[in-house]
Amino acid sequence: MHDGIHVEQAGLPSATICTDRFIPTARGMAQMWGAADYPTIFTEHPIENLTREQLRQRAEGLAAEVVAVLTGS
Amino acid sequence: MSEQSNTTTAQWDNVFEAVERCYELGWTDGLPVVPPTAARVAEFLDAAGRDGAEIVGELPERRRRITTEKVAANAVLAGCRPEYLPVVLAATAAMLAPEFNLVGPSSSMGGAATLVIVNGPVARELNINARNNLFGPGNRANATIGRALRLVLMNACAAVPGLFDRSVIGHPGKFTYCIAEADTETHWTPLHVERGFAPEQSAVTVFAAEGPRQVRSVGRPEAILYAIADVASSLGTSLSTSGSVGDPAQGIRQGETVVTIAGNSGLWRDWSKADVRDYLHARIRRSVADLKQAQVFAGPVEPGDEARFVPLVAAPEDILVVFAGGEESNMSSVIPSWGPKVGSTAVTREIR
Repeated sequence: MHDGIHVEQAGLPSATICTDRFIPTARGMAQMWGAADYPTIFTEHPIENLTREQLRQRAEGLAAEVVAVLTGS
Repeated sequence: MSEQSNTTTAQWDNVFEAVERCYELGWTDGLPVVPPTAARVAEFLDAAGRDGAEIVGELPERRRRITTEKVAANAVLAGCRPEYLPVVLAATAAMLAPEFNLVGPSSSMGGAATLVIVNGPVARELNINARNNLFGPGNRANATIGRALRLVLMNACAAVPGLFDRSVIGHPGKFTYCIAEADTETHWTPLHVERGFAPEQSAVTVFAAEGPRQVRSVGRPEAILYAIADVASSLGTSLSTSGSVGDPAQGIRQGETVVTIAGNSGLWRDWSKADVRDYLHARIRRSVADLKQAQVFAGPVEPGDEARFVPLVAAPEDILVVFAGGEESNMSSVIPSWGPKVGSTAVTREIR
Protein backbone atom coordinates (compact mmCIF):
# COMPACT_ATOMS: atom_id res chain seq x y z
CA MET A 1 0.00 0.00 0.00
CA HIS A 2 2.73 2.42 1.09
CA ASP A 3 4.77 1.87 -2.08
CA GLY A 4 1.77 1.92 -4.42
CA ILE A 5 0.50 5.20 -3.00
CA HIS A 6 3.96 6.76 -3.29
CA VAL A 7 4.51 5.58 -6.85
CA GLU A 8 1.10 7.03 -7.76
CA GLN A 9 1.88 10.32 -6.00
CA ALA A 10 5.19 10.46 -7.92
CA GLY A 11 3.18 10.48 -11.16
CA LEU A 12 3.43 6.82 -12.20
CA PRO A 13 0.16 4.88 -12.41
CA SER A 14 0.14 2.05 -9.84
CA ALA A 15 -2.18 -0.81 -8.96
CA THR A 16 -1.99 -2.38 -5.51
CA ILE A 17 -3.43 -5.82 -4.76
CA CYS A 18 -4.22 -6.68 -1.15
CA THR A 19 -5.96 -9.69 0.41
CA ASP A 20 -9.34 -9.03 1.98
CA ARG A 21 -8.25 -9.77 5.57
CA PHE A 22 -6.24 -6.54 5.37
CA ILE A 23 -8.97 -4.16 4.20
CA PRO A 24 -8.97 -1.97 7.37
CA THR A 25 -5.16 -1.82 7.38
CA ALA A 26 -5.06 -0.88 3.69
CA ARG A 27 -7.74 1.80 4.12
CA GLY A 28 -5.96 3.13 7.23
CA MET A 29 -2.66 3.39 5.35
CA ALA A 30 -4.35 5.22 2.46
CA GLN A 31 -5.95 7.70 4.87
CA MET A 32 -2.63 8.19 6.69
CA TRP A 33 -1.06 9.32 3.41
CA GLY A 34 -3.94 11.57 2.35
CA ALA A 35 -5.04 9.14 -0.36
CA ALA A 36 -8.34 7.85 1.02
CA ASP A 37 -9.68 7.28 -2.50
CA TYR A 38 -6.64 5.28 -3.66
CA PRO A 39 -8.16 2.44 -5.73
CA THR A 40 -6.99 -0.77 -4.04
CA ILE A 41 -7.78 -4.16 -5.55
CA PHE A 42 -8.81 -6.76 -3.00
CA THR A 43 -8.58 -10.51 -3.44
CA GLU A 44 -9.65 -13.41 -1.24
CA HIS A 45 -7.34 -14.25 1.66
CA PRO A 46 -5.03 -16.20 1.90
CA ILE A 47 -2.59 -16.46 -0.97
CA GLU A 48 0.48 -17.77 0.90
CA ASN A 49 -0.61 -21.41 0.59
CA LEU A 50 -1.44 -21.28 -3.13
CA THR A 51 0.60 -23.29 -5.61
CA ARG A 52 2.32 -21.46 -8.44
CA GLU A 53 -0.49 -22.51 -10.81
CA GLN A 54 -3.25 -21.42 -8.41
CA LEU A 55 -1.51 -18.07 -7.95
CA ARG A 56 -1.31 -17.64 -11.72
CA GLN A 57 -5.06 -18.31 -12.02
CA ARG A 58 -5.73 -15.77 -9.28
CA ALA A 59 -3.61 -13.16 -11.06
CA GLU A 60 -5.33 -13.82 -14.40
CA GLY A 61 -8.69 -13.27 -12.70
CA LEU A 62 -7.50 -9.86 -11.45
CA ALA A 63 -5.78 -8.72 -14.66
CA ALA A 64 -8.74 -6.80 -16.07
CA GLU A 65 -9.15 -4.91 -12.79
CA VAL A 66 -5.43 -4.06 -12.74
CA VAL A 67 -5.65 -2.68 -16.29
CA ALA A 68 -8.71 -0.62 -15.34
CA VAL A 69 -6.93 0.91 -12.33
CA LEU A 70 -3.75 1.65 -14.30
CA THR A 71 -5.61 3.28 -17.20
CA GLY A 72 -8.16 5.02 -15.02
CA SER A 73 -10.98 3.52 -17.05
CA MET B 1 -12.74 17.19 24.55
CA SER B 2 -10.96 19.35 22.00
CA GLU B 3 -8.44 18.65 19.26
CA GLN B 4 -5.27 20.75 19.21
CA SER B 5 -2.70 19.74 16.62
CA ASN B 6 -2.23 16.00 17.20
CA THR B 7 -2.78 16.10 20.97
CA THR B 8 -6.09 15.05 22.46
CA THR B 9 -7.19 16.65 25.74
CA ALA B 10 -9.99 15.46 27.97
CA GLN B 11 -11.70 16.60 31.19
CA TRP B 12 -12.86 14.40 34.04
CA ASP B 13 -14.41 14.79 37.50
CA ASN B 14 -12.83 11.92 39.41
CA VAL B 15 -10.10 9.34 38.96
CA PHE B 16 -12.44 6.43 38.16
CA GLU B 17 -14.08 8.45 35.42
CA ALA B 18 -10.64 9.41 34.16
CA VAL B 19 -9.56 5.79 33.90
CA GLU B 20 -12.75 4.95 31.99
CA ARG B 21 -12.20 7.92 29.66
CA CYS B 22 -8.71 6.61 28.88
CA TYR B 23 -10.32 3.33 27.80
CA GLU B 24 -12.84 5.18 25.63
CA LEU B 25 -10.05 7.19 24.00
CA GLY B 26 -8.23 3.97 23.09
CA TRP B 27 -5.17 4.80 25.18
CA THR B 28 -4.79 1.49 27.03
CA ASP B 29 -3.41 -2.00 26.40
CA GLY B 30 -6.51 -3.48 28.04
CA LEU B 31 -5.35 -2.89 31.61
CA PRO B 32 -6.22 0.30 33.55
CA VAL B 33 -3.82 3.20 33.10
CA VAL B 34 -2.73 6.18 35.19
CA PRO B 35 -4.44 9.30 33.72
CA PRO B 36 -1.72 11.38 32.02
CA THR B 37 -2.53 14.80 33.41
CA ALA B 38 -0.60 17.74 31.98
CA ALA B 39 0.96 18.34 35.41
CA ARG B 40 2.16 14.73 35.75
CA VAL B 41 3.62 14.70 32.23
CA ALA B 42 5.45 17.99 32.99
CA GLU B 43 6.77 16.49 36.22
CA PHE B 44 8.26 13.57 34.24
CA LEU B 45 9.91 15.90 31.71
CA ASP B 46 11.29 18.10 34.49
CA ALA B 47 12.72 15.10 36.32
CA ALA B 48 14.55 14.06 33.15
CA GLY B 49 15.55 17.65 32.33
CA ARG B 50 14.11 17.30 28.84
CA ASP B 51 12.12 19.65 26.62
CA GLY B 52 8.76 18.18 25.61
CA ALA B 53 9.14 19.35 22.01
CA GLU B 54 12.40 17.48 21.44
CA ILE B 55 12.15 14.83 18.70
CA VAL B 56 13.09 11.35 19.97
CA GLY B 57 12.82 9.74 16.55
CA GLU B 58 10.70 9.37 13.47
CA LEU B 59 8.58 6.67 11.89
CA PRO B 60 8.42 7.98 8.31
CA GLU B 61 6.28 5.11 6.95
CA ARG B 62 3.49 6.25 9.31
CA ARG B 63 4.24 9.97 9.13
CA ARG B 64 5.00 10.12 12.84
CA ARG B 65 7.58 12.26 14.64
CA ILE B 66 7.78 11.15 18.25
CA THR B 67 8.40 13.88 20.84
CA THR B 68 9.64 13.51 24.40
CA GLU B 69 6.21 14.75 25.54
CA LYS B 70 4.47 11.82 23.80
CA VAL B 71 6.90 9.37 25.38
CA ALA B 72 6.43 10.98 28.81
CA ALA B 73 2.62 10.81 28.49
CA ASN B 74 2.82 7.09 27.75
CA ALA B 75 5.26 6.55 30.63
CA VAL B 76 2.68 8.16 32.93
CA LEU B 77 -0.09 5.99 31.45
CA ALA B 78 2.03 2.87 32.06
CA GLY B 79 2.51 3.66 35.74
CA CYS B 80 6.19 4.61 35.58
CA ARG B 81 7.92 6.71 38.21
CA PRO B 82 9.37 10.00 36.83
CA GLU B 83 12.94 8.73 37.13
CA TYR B 84 12.20 5.87 34.71
CA LEU B 85 11.60 8.29 31.82
CA PRO B 86 15.24 8.41 30.57
CA VAL B 87 15.15 4.62 30.10
CA VAL B 88 11.88 4.79 28.17
CA LEU B 89 13.24 7.65 26.04
CA ALA B 90 16.45 5.76 25.22
CA ALA B 91 14.48 2.60 24.39
CA THR B 92 12.13 4.59 22.15
CA ALA B 93 15.08 6.22 20.35
CA ALA B 94 16.68 2.79 19.87
CA MET B 95 13.41 1.35 18.56
CA LEU B 96 13.17 4.21 16.03
CA ALA B 97 16.73 3.72 14.72
CA PRO B 98 16.63 2.80 11.01
CA GLU B 99 18.30 -0.60 11.53
CA PHE B 100 15.54 -1.65 13.97
CA ASN B 101 13.06 -1.04 11.14
CA LEU B 102 10.15 -0.64 13.56
CA VAL B 103 7.49 -0.73 10.86
CA GLY B 104 8.39 -4.40 10.27
CA PRO B 105 8.23 -6.02 13.71
CA SER B 106 5.43 -3.73 14.93
CA SER B 107 3.08 -4.60 12.08
CA SER B 108 4.00 -8.15 11.11
CA MET B 109 1.82 -11.24 11.42
CA GLY B 110 4.86 -12.71 13.21
CA GLY B 111 3.75 -11.07 16.44
CA ALA B 112 7.01 -9.75 17.89
CA ALA B 113 7.39 -7.71 21.06
CA THR B 114 10.22 -5.30 21.81
CA LEU B 115 12.48 -6.87 24.42
CA VAL B 116 14.26 -4.18 26.48
CA ILE B 117 17.58 -5.12 28.15
CA VAL B 118 19.03 -2.52 30.56
CA ASN B 119 22.72 -2.46 31.50
CA GLY B 120 24.89 -0.26 33.69
CA PRO B 121 24.47 1.76 36.90
CA VAL B 122 20.94 2.97 36.04
CA ALA B 123 19.62 -0.59 36.25
CA ARG B 124 20.69 -0.78 39.89
CA GLU B 125 19.66 2.79 40.75
CA LEU B 126 16.14 2.18 39.44
CA ASN B 127 15.98 -1.35 40.87
CA ILE B 128 15.32 -2.93 37.48
CA ASN B 129 15.12 -6.64 38.19
CA ALA B 130 17.81 -8.93 36.77
CA ARG B 131 17.16 -11.91 39.01
CA ASN B 132 14.24 -14.03 40.34
CA ASN B 133 11.14 -13.92 38.09
CA LEU B 134 13.18 -12.28 35.35
CA PHE B 135 10.28 -12.22 32.88
CA GLY B 136 7.62 -12.50 35.59
CA PRO B 137 5.59 -10.06 37.66
CA GLY B 138 6.41 -8.26 40.88
CA ASN B 139 8.72 -5.37 40.00
CA ARG B 140 7.45 -1.91 39.15
CA ALA B 141 10.39 -0.77 37.00
CA ASN B 142 10.38 -3.84 34.75
CA ALA B 143 6.60 -3.93 34.50
CA THR B 144 6.06 -0.26 33.73
CA ILE B 145 9.10 0.52 31.55
CA GLY B 146 8.23 -2.38 29.24
CA ARG B 147 4.57 -1.39 29.29
CA ALA B 148 5.43 2.24 28.50
CA LEU B 149 7.27 1.13 25.37
CA ARG B 150 4.21 -0.88 24.24
CA LEU B 151 1.95 2.14 24.86
CA VAL B 152 4.36 4.36 22.87
CA LEU B 153 3.99 1.83 20.05
CA MET B 154 0.20 1.77 20.24
CA ASN B 155 -0.53 5.43 21.00
CA ALA B 156 2.31 7.29 19.26
CA CYS B 157 3.44 4.89 16.52
CA ALA B 158 -0.03 3.69 15.39
CA ALA B 159 0.73 0.01 16.13
CA VAL B 160 -2.92 -0.57 17.01
CA PRO B 161 -3.88 -4.27 17.25
CA GLY B 162 -5.97 -5.32 14.27
CA LEU B 163 -5.19 -2.12 12.37
CA PHE B 164 -1.45 -1.62 11.85
CA ASP B 165 -0.39 -4.40 14.24
CA ARG B 166 -1.46 -7.57 12.43
CA SER B 167 0.03 -10.15 14.86
CA VAL B 168 -1.65 -13.50 14.28
CA ILE B 169 -0.82 -14.82 17.77
CA GLY B 170 1.57 -12.43 19.53
CA HIS B 171 2.76 -13.29 23.03
CA PRO B 172 2.47 -11.98 26.61
CA GLY B 173 5.69 -9.98 26.20
CA LYS B 174 3.65 -7.56 24.13
CA PHE B 175 2.22 -6.22 27.41
CA THR B 176 5.66 -5.69 28.93
CA TYR B 177 9.11 -7.18 28.20
CA CYS B 178 11.89 -5.47 30.16
CA ILE B 179 14.85 -6.99 32.02
CA ALA B 180 18.25 -5.95 33.32
CA GLU B 181 21.51 -7.88 33.13
CA ALA B 182 23.03 -8.80 36.53
CA ASP B 183 26.28 -7.36 35.23
CA THR B 184 27.95 -6.79 38.61
CA GLU B 185 27.37 -10.40 39.65
CA THR B 186 29.37 -12.09 36.89
CA HIS B 187 32.85 -12.05 35.39
CA TRP B 188 31.22 -11.87 31.97
CA THR B 189 31.49 -8.68 29.93
CA PRO B 190 28.15 -6.80 30.14
CA LEU B 191 26.07 -6.72 26.97
CA HIS B 192 26.38 -2.94 26.54
CA VAL B 193 30.18 -3.12 26.87
CA GLU B 194 30.30 -5.82 24.20
CA ARG B 195 28.28 -3.42 22.05
CA GLY B 196 30.65 -0.47 22.41
CA PHE B 197 29.82 1.32 25.67
CA ALA B 198 31.87 1.78 28.86
CA PRO B 199 30.99 -0.16 32.03
CA GLU B 200 30.15 3.09 33.85
CA GLN B 201 27.71 4.10 31.12
CA SER B 202 24.11 2.94 31.22
CA ALA B 203 22.52 1.66 28.06
CA VAL B 204 19.41 -0.02 26.77
CA THR B 205 19.27 -2.68 24.06
CA VAL B 206 16.05 -3.29 22.14
CA PHE B 207 15.39 -6.53 20.29
CA ALA B 208 12.39 -7.47 18.14
CA ALA B 209 11.60 -10.73 19.86
CA GLU B 210 9.49 -13.82 20.00
CA GLY B 211 8.53 -15.05 23.47
CA PRO B 212 11.11 -16.56 25.85
CA ARG B 213 11.38 -20.36 25.88
CA GLN B 214 12.58 -21.62 29.27
CA VAL B 215 15.43 -24.15 29.28
CA ARG B 216 15.59 -26.37 32.36
CA SER B 217 18.94 -28.04 31.82
CA VAL B 218 21.05 -27.31 34.94
CA GLY B 219 24.08 -29.62 34.72
CA ARG B 220 27.63 -28.79 33.67
CA PRO B 221 28.14 -25.90 31.22
CA GLU B 222 28.40 -28.08 28.11
CA ALA B 223 25.16 -29.88 29.01
CA ILE B 224 23.33 -26.60 29.57
CA LEU B 225 24.58 -25.18 26.28
CA TYR B 226 23.74 -28.41 24.44
CA ALA B 227 20.12 -28.04 25.60
CA ILE B 228 20.04 -24.32 24.81
CA ALA B 229 21.30 -25.04 21.29
CA ASP B 230 18.62 -27.69 20.83
CA VAL B 231 15.85 -25.29 21.89
CA ALA B 232 17.29 -22.52 19.69
CA SER B 233 17.28 -24.94 16.75
CA SER B 234 13.52 -25.53 16.87
CA LEU B 235 11.45 -25.73 13.74
CA GLY B 236 8.74 -23.10 13.63
CA THR B 237 10.72 -20.13 14.92
CA SER B 238 11.32 -17.14 12.69
CA LEU B 239 14.94 -18.28 12.25
CA SER B 240 13.97 -21.66 10.77
CA THR B 241 11.32 -20.19 8.50
CA SER B 242 11.60 -20.22 4.73
CA GLY B 243 13.72 -17.29 3.61
CA SER B 244 11.81 -14.86 1.43
CA VAL B 245 14.06 -12.25 3.06
CA GLY B 246 17.61 -12.53 4.33
CA ASP B 247 20.52 -14.36 2.71
CA PRO B 248 19.05 -16.17 -0.35
CA ALA B 249 21.96 -18.63 -0.36
CA GLN B 250 20.73 -20.13 2.92
CA GLY B 251 17.10 -20.66 1.97
CA ILE B 252 16.03 -19.84 5.52
CA ARG B 253 15.75 -16.52 7.29
CA GLN B 254 18.39 -16.93 10.01
CA GLY B 255 18.47 -14.09 12.56
CA GLU B 256 19.65 -13.09 16.01
CA THR B 257 19.00 -14.92 19.27
CA VAL B 258 19.07 -13.71 22.87
CA VAL B 259 20.14 -16.30 25.43
CA THR B 260 19.68 -15.54 29.14
CA ILE B 261 21.63 -17.61 31.63
CA ALA B 262 20.72 -17.50 35.34
CA GLY B 263 22.10 -18.93 38.56
CA ASN B 264 25.61 -18.69 39.94
CA SER B 265 28.16 -17.21 37.57
CA GLY B 266 30.87 -19.36 39.21
CA LEU B 267 29.65 -22.34 37.19
CA TRP B 268 30.90 -20.48 34.10
CA ARG B 269 34.32 -19.44 35.53
CA ASP B 270 36.18 -21.20 32.69
CA TRP B 271 33.93 -19.73 30.00
CA SER B 272 33.76 -16.27 28.45
CA LYS B 273 30.68 -15.00 26.65
CA ALA B 274 32.63 -15.45 23.40
CA ASP B 275 33.20 -19.12 24.30
CA VAL B 276 29.47 -19.54 24.93
CA ARG B 277 28.62 -17.90 21.63
CA ASP B 278 31.09 -20.06 19.68
CA TYR B 279 29.77 -23.27 21.26
CA LEU B 280 26.17 -22.31 20.50
CA HIS B 281 26.84 -21.01 17.00
CA ALA B 282 28.28 -24.38 15.97
CA ARG B 283 25.15 -26.18 17.23
CA ILE B 284 22.19 -23.91 16.46
CA ARG B 285 21.34 -25.56 13.16
CA ARG B 286 18.85 -27.92 11.52
CA SER B 287 19.22 -30.76 9.05
CA VAL B 288 18.07 -30.37 5.47
CA ALA B 289 15.92 -33.48 6.05
CA ASP B 290 14.03 -31.77 8.91
CA LEU B 291 13.66 -28.53 6.96
CA LYS B 292 12.16 -30.53 4.07
CA GLN B 293 9.82 -32.45 6.38
CA ALA B 294 8.55 -29.13 7.70
CA GLN B 295 8.18 -27.79 4.13
CA VAL B 296 10.68 -25.02 4.83
CA PHE B 297 12.67 -26.39 1.89
CA ALA B 298 10.89 -27.83 -1.14
CA GLY B 299 11.27 -31.37 -2.40
CA PRO B 300 11.43 -34.89 -0.98
CA VAL B 301 14.04 -35.95 1.56
CA GLU B 302 17.02 -37.44 -0.26
CA PRO B 303 19.93 -39.62 0.89
CA GLY B 304 22.41 -37.48 2.78
CA ASP B 305 19.89 -34.81 3.85
CA GLU B 306 19.97 -36.09 7.46
CA ALA B 307 23.67 -35.24 7.66
CA ARG B 308 23.50 -31.86 5.91
CA PHE B 309 22.94 -28.98 8.31
CA VAL B 310 21.93 -25.35 7.87
CA PRO B 311 22.99 -22.81 10.57
CA LEU B 312 20.09 -20.77 11.97
CA VAL B 313 22.33 -17.89 13.10
CA ALA B 314 24.88 -16.61 10.60
CA ALA B 315 27.66 -15.62 13.04
CA PRO B 316 28.51 -16.02 16.75
CA GLU B 317 27.96 -12.26 17.18
CA ASP B 318 24.28 -12.81 16.33
CA ILE B 319 23.86 -14.55 19.69
CA LEU B 320 23.34 -12.01 22.50
CA VAL B 321 24.28 -13.63 25.83
CA VAL B 322 22.79 -12.02 28.95
CA PHE B 323 23.54 -13.09 32.54
CA ALA B 324 20.13 -12.77 34.19
CA GLY B 325 17.53 -14.78 36.08
CA GLY B 326 17.19 -16.14 39.60
CA GLU B 327 20.14 -17.22 41.69
CA GLU B 328 18.28 -20.41 42.63
CA SER B 329 19.28 -22.40 39.56
CA ASN B 330 21.35 -22.24 36.38
CA MET B 331 18.26 -22.19 34.17
CA SER B 332 18.24 -20.29 30.93
CA SER B 333 15.99 -19.02 28.18
CA VAL B 334 16.12 -18.70 24.41
CA ILE B 335 14.51 -15.76 22.59
CA PRO B 336 14.59 -15.88 18.78
CA SER B 337 14.44 -12.64 16.82
CA TRP B 338 11.35 -11.63 14.90
CA GLY B 339 13.16 -11.95 11.59
CA PRO B 340 16.47 -11.84 9.77
CA LYS B 341 18.94 -9.04 10.51
CA VAL B 342 18.02 -7.27 7.29
CA GLY B 343 14.46 -7.09 8.68
CA SER B 344 15.38 -5.84 12.16
CA THR B 345 18.61 -5.69 14.13
CA ALA B 346 19.12 -5.28 17.88
CA VAL B 347 20.02 -1.67 18.72
CA THR B 348 21.80 -0.29 21.82
CA ARG B 349 21.56 3.35 22.95
CA GLU B 350 22.99 5.20 25.94
CA ILE B 351 20.58 6.23 28.71
CA ARG B 352 21.19 9.89 29.55
